[in-house]
Amino acid sequence: MTEPQRERLAESQSRLLHALLADGPAPAGFDRDRLQVEAIALLSKRRRVVAMLQSEACGDLGDRFVPLFDAYGRAHPRRIGTRARDDAREFVEWCLAQGHLDRPRRRRWPFRRATEKRR
Amino acid sequence: MVAELGVGIGWRAEIDLTVERLPGVDWVEVVAENLRAEHLPESIVVLRDRGTPVLPHAVSLSVGGAEPVDPQRIEHLAKLADALDAPMASDHVCFVRAGGLDSGHLMPVPRTREALDVVVDNVKTVQAGLGVPFALENIAALLEWPDAELTEAQFLTELTDRTGCLLLVDVANLYANARNLGQDPVRLLDEIPLERLAYVHVAGGIERDGVYHDTHAHPIVPEVLDLLGELTARTSPPGVLLERDDDYPSDDELAAELAAIRAKL
Repeated sequence: MTEPQRERLAESQSRLLHALLADGPAPAGFDRDRLQVEAIALLSKRRRVVAMLQSEACGDLGDRFVPLFDAYGRAHPRRIGTRARDDAREFVEWCLAQGHLDRPRRRRWPFRRATEKRR
Repeated sequence: MVAELGVGIGWRAEIDLTVERLPGVDWVEVVAENLRAEHLPESIVVLRDRGTPVLPHAVSLSVGGAEPVDPQRIEHLAKLADALDAPMASDHVCFVRAGGLDSGHLMPVPRTREALDVVVDNVKTVQAGLGVPFALENIAALLEWPDAELTEAQFLTELTDRTGCLLLVDVANLYANARNLGQDPVRLLDEIPLERLAYVHVAGGIERDGVYHDTHAHPIVPEVLDLLGELTARTSPPGVLLERDDDYPSDDELAAELAAIRAKL
């Protein structure tokens, strides 16, 4: 019963999100400044979540984190079905692939088998 | 009849012990997406078994989205409400997904008759899958859709009339929309059906570069408490809840904010 309404709504909502998240063209009728404010707010929120979930890697980036994340975020908008954790991990993988971060060296634990008898 | 709740605070894992021992916490709200009905956090079980009402609040149903609501998300919310013995469940009048993208935050719905038809249909689907009443919250928006056919008050009123849903009024969001979009928050309070009020949200925020951000990470600004006063001058809300999601202050500061809220009731 709501099919035609749903189709038109889907199209207008899609245009808005692509403008805000993926550098798409500004949809007609919207205030440009407001679109800009919203786009920055959404990117900042995503950045805060990534910084929290991947605090070590984002901390290693130091001052480069914000500009790198913002460039990455616009080029890689979060797709439906991507969990926050995956979104954060994918950013770190991108940083590694682009050489912005060094691969962490594997730690060698001087472990002993739990069943080993102590002498 | 809407359940009487009193003054509450949003339960977050980072402040679980604080919430358990803070004086003057009559009830709590949990973010539905962060919990699983099968594995409730111990702190939530403690609160529930103590008789403290625990209400699930969802952020991802996207009832304002063009797609029908995902049945799995409804089922999750229904199971959680059941496990918590909650008197109701809630989400927002917003959409979070479109065109293959996830906005990561609550986005406003165009206030057109056509969009309202879709939201009504989606809300009815949620209600059919929930064993408890469903409440919908007004959001803080940073932009407005062009060509609105209804005011926010008209949109919320028609939505409640056509679905029988309850209203969760966030006074901090009303303040944000007043600051950022020039809406009249007091007029909205005059025009929405307050007899459908489930409860009220209060939160802090901060102004940056001329834009008020509803951060839930800063103290409550006095103007938001004033709006709570405007609301309580019109009706006696069944519940009021403080939302704090980040940069947690000391227990004393949280207790003082709860006391400031209680003083407005």
